[in-house]
Amino acid sequence: MRLPDSVTGSFLVVLGAAAAYGGYILPPVPGQPVGPNVFPLVIGTGLALCGLAIVFGIGHSFEEEEELIPLEDGQAAAPPPQGKLYGLRALLPPALLLFYVLAADRLGFIITAAIMVYITSTALGAKWKLALPLAALSPFAIHLIFGKLLRVPLPAGLLPTPW
Amino acid sequence: MLKTLIDAFALISTWEVIIAMFAASVYGLVIGSLPGLSATMATALLVPVTFYLSPIAAIATIVAASSMAIFSGDIPGALLRIPGTPASAAYADEAYAMTRKGQAELALGAGVWFSAVGGIAGVLSLMILAPPLAEIALSFSTFEYFWLALLGLMCATLVARSSPVKAIAGMFLGLLVSCIGIENPGGVPRFTFGITDLFGGIEPIPALVGVFAVAQVMRAMLTPEPPPLPRRKFGSIMAGQWRLTKKYHWQMTRGNIVGIIIGVLPGAGADMAAWVSYAMSKRFSKEKEKFGTGHVEGLVEAGASNNASIASGWVPSLLFGIPGDTIAAIAIGVLYMKGLNPGPTLFTEKASSMYAIYLMFIIANILMIPLGIAMIRVAAYILLAPRSTVMPIIMLCCAVGSFAIGNNMFGVVTVAAFGVIGYVMEANGYPVAAMVLGIVMGTMVEQAFVTSLIKSDGSILPFFERPVAAILAAMAIGALLWPVMVWVWRKLKPMQTATATSR
Repeated sequence: MRLPDSVTGSFLVVLGAAAAYGGYILPPVPGQPVGPNVFPLVIGTGLALCGLAIVFGIGHSFEEEEELIPLEDGQAAAPPPQGKLYGLRALLPPALLLFYVLAADRLGFIITAAIMVYITSTALGAKWKLALPLAALSPFAIHLIFGKLLRVPLPAGLLPTPW
Repeated sequence: MLKTLIDAFALISTWEVIIAMFAASVYGLVIGSLPGLSATMATALLVPVTFYLSPIAAIATIVAASSMAIFSGDIPGALLRIPGTPASAAYADEAYAMTRKGQAELALGAGVWFSAVGGIAGVLSLMILAPPLAEIALSFSTFEYFWLALLGLMCATLVARSSPVKAIAGMFLGLLVSCIGIENPGGVPRFTFGITDLFGGIEPIPALVGVFAVAQVMRAMLTPEPPPLPRRKFGSIMAGQWRLTKKYHWQMTRGNIVGIIIGVLPGAGADMAAWVSYAMSKRFSKEKEKFGTGHVEGLVEAGASNNASIASGWVPSLLFGIPGDTIAAIAIGVLYMKGLNPGPTLFTEKASSMYAIYLMFIIANILMIPLGIAMIRVAAYILLAPRSTVMPIIMLCCAVGSFAIGNNMFGVVTVAAFGVIGYVMEANGYPVAAMVLGIVMGTMVEQAFVTSLIKSDGSILPFFERPVAAILAAMAIGALLWPVMVWVWRKLKPMQTATATSR
């Protein structure tokens, strides 16, 4: 997900300008020169200026390249599998969290959590022999801590817990 | 004084506090020792649990978990050359070189011992610095608070190991996030886009969990699994530590002092302290050539430094609500929830609670020695846990924890969104710590800024009239202009050398 500085910088310019404009159109407090509009105006302008500076590469020389620890003999790791879709794997965790938001009330905590654990675990390279028992047990453990001990109202859904 | 101390003892000698502290210590040791799980993440995931504890027990868990995690990151650093937390990255190479020379016990022992000493030095600085600063801070008006907040935000950008422009941009992003909601001077819905869930604003804690925990799981999806730890038998771990203390007492003190200073600076935490101290140790050492070959001197200094920064990071947090590092940023959130709102009056009105915090820091650092030794001995077993079992559970904790903060599914959406934001920012060289600082301090900065503007009635002069305000203003403006000056200077220097050589 390494994007060129010109892309992230331009994005910041647009975001900053939008924030400044959004602040500008906010209704002022009657009889008061400064209100809720001042702060977004300042922040938005600042952000847009920073974005411009980044587009033009100011400050780039300060960036340190990531220090990679050189591998030793016999310790060499397998090169990560490359592919067009490989980078998209990173989006799996937030996608699963959104899945939790949408499904937890209907399916209940235990089932949703088990699905989340199974998918995350498999994506990180676990075999089903490990992922399946983990998915079966860990939701109950978490439910015991948060639902029972800490009284968080976790949705029961289809499969109520025995306690 | 004596009565407050006794009160403080009474506050911490309840079963709840003792159990919370012990459990959080073990938790911090385990999370810190697992590569890829940082001390900040350990603290962030603790927050939902602290909701259900008494104020002192809640702070106890944070104090204990963060101190332990910073030490425990040394363990995989020394044994695998993979730092468990970013704070151990500075000297992981050195410690691993010692392990290969057969001095793993000495390296890890130095980690435990000097971490504990550093932690206690940090607490002493908190005890000595905070009360007099509170006296001064009592006379601060909104102008001083405005400049102080600005200075804090600027410090965070200066110390970032990245482009200062990107750091400032990250800080502005954080401030922009804090603009969302109706909690603003006009009480109007701002940047809510008609979404009711956004009216209350973005809660800092789910945002922090997203940035530090979810983003880390996202990174794990793309990085190869670290190798398992070879099992080994350890000799005596504390042997020789006293000799090292006597031999390197000056390095240790210097590490403590540097750690304390960096901890107090907003936004700069244990990892920065370790890098600076390790570099300093190498620079001033009499045996420079030994560095990198498994020499304990740098370990002593950096280990003493990163733990010292943990406690001193609480100084600006408790006094002004300006976090000294990302862990303190989380702690501030907890302090507000527990009715211990940061501010100078905390030291007069809630003095016994403050003493309780000092005592808990001292106890945590003493407890670190036995628990740390035990942890080193069982580390090989804990590190057997593959990432594919740890990360899914972290995911569950993120989901449940962010839900628990408001019993509201919107918290989970926030966590997911900030996971993506944190991941993209980190991948492109934007320091997330700067954004976190912006989110945590945003409301306070705006309040100080707008109130000051209203008071000054359109004039800019009152911002500089009061002596303390003027000094803080000069420092803040200097910090703001610093990157520009360096940039101009660097542009001019090649020109000068070019003309010099052409002559």
